[in-house]
Amino acid sequence: MSKTYTYFIALIGVVCAYFIIRLFLFTDLSTRTVQSDVLQGLLIGFGLAVVSANAYARIKATKSGGWITMFGLGVPGNGMFLRAAHAQLFPGPVVVPEEAMYWWTNTDGAGGALDGRYDYVMRFPAGGLPPNNAFWSLTMGDAKNHFVPNPINRYSVSDRSGLVQNTDGSVDMYIQNTAPTGRESNWLPAPSGKFILWLRVYLPGATILDRTYAVPPVVKTK
Amino acid sequence: MEYQHLLIFGGVCTAAFLLITYLWPRMLFIVYKRAILVTGGGDGPIPVNQLYTEPQALFADPVHPPASASKLFTTGVNHDTLVTVGWLDLGEGAQVLHVPDMAGRYYSVQFTDPSKNINFAYVGKRATGTAAGDYLISGPGWKGTVPQGMKQISSPNNSVLVLGRVFVENDGDISAAYGLAKQIQLTPLSL
Repeated sequence: MSKTYTYFIALIGVVCAYFIIRLFLFTDLSTRTVQSDVLQGLLIGFGLAVVSANAYARIKATKSGGWITMFGLGVPGNGMFLRAAHAQLFPGPVVVPEEAMYWWTNTDGAGGALDGRYDYVMRFPAGGLPPNNAFWSLTMGDAKNHFVPNPINRYSVSDRSGLVQNTDGSVDMYIQNTAPTGRESNWLPAPSGKFILWLRVYLPGATILDRTYAVPPVVKTK
Repeated sequence: MEYQHLLIFGGVCTAAFLLITYLWPRMLFIVYKRAILVTGGGDGPIPVNQLYTEPQALFADPVHPPASASKLFTTGVNHDTLVTVGWLDLGEGAQVLHVPDMAGRYYSVQFTDPSKNINFAYVGKRATGTAAGDYLISGPGWKGTVPQGMKQISSPNNSVLVLGRVFVENDGDISAAYGLAKQIQLTPLSL
């Protein structure tokens, strides 16, 4: 969720609140017309719906180390407020948790925007790759959520990428614009500008579904 | 008299708030429905009650999507599964989804109610296993006999988004995965 969007939503909230307070406390009601009651009611109602869906999305989102996900997407029985909140952070079709979990981020673990001008490492500790009964992947997208052209035609790293472990069993993924010398096997090519990352785990394991599994943060190294 | 203005404003405002919140997922899916039925994935519109699988070439070389594809098909980075999409209208009658024997390969077909963005049913490795099968998709109020050997999936809505995902192991596996994905097919329940 970009900062600009956040400010925009906050602005709508402030305008709606200002208008309601002014109407109820500081307006000479004898000058009102029914027409403006209805028209302004519609507009303010619309604004409040957008603001509340976003606020609820922030409450219900699970954030850790810059990664954002939501549990319970697309599950039958979700109420209307939860469905609207889900649509804010995951617009479009979604997947139920037992089928797959998606995390995304546009920031590193320290909160800085992911940007191909810098180099990043994402380290899974020994035995800490995402538990699953199907597959996992870490996929690169540019700022508009499109694939990123690169010299080795690699668009994601995954359990199929032949990732090389460190001697202690941990696995480092090098997320950067230029190839890391001697570590090309674990390179996820980044664009030169801002980017986002998707971590997907299909048929996620029990520790993901019970929310004890923590996705490691992306760490800026240079 | 004057305070009636506050009542009218408050009533309209509350009603608009609840209505927009309720309709929010549905409004998103209007865009998605249009992307399927009007623009399509690069080979023209995808007719209702038909499935379309993303081309192998697009999966192999995703940085050069066809210009004729809807933006929704080329936005979102997925290099794990071949995607098959379609839009059902069960008002014309029930549909039969056929899935081939996936021989243990991960796949899923989700059925999404676009009015609520709820996935009311799945066919696939987790939900039904990977053997070949036929599933009867029926709309609300459908009355009929489920043919022998078919399992029934009752949809709460005549309008349904179908979204299939077939796992691709690596670039050498694309054509095998595509061959299987293309065998996920819809046919009207034969009369």
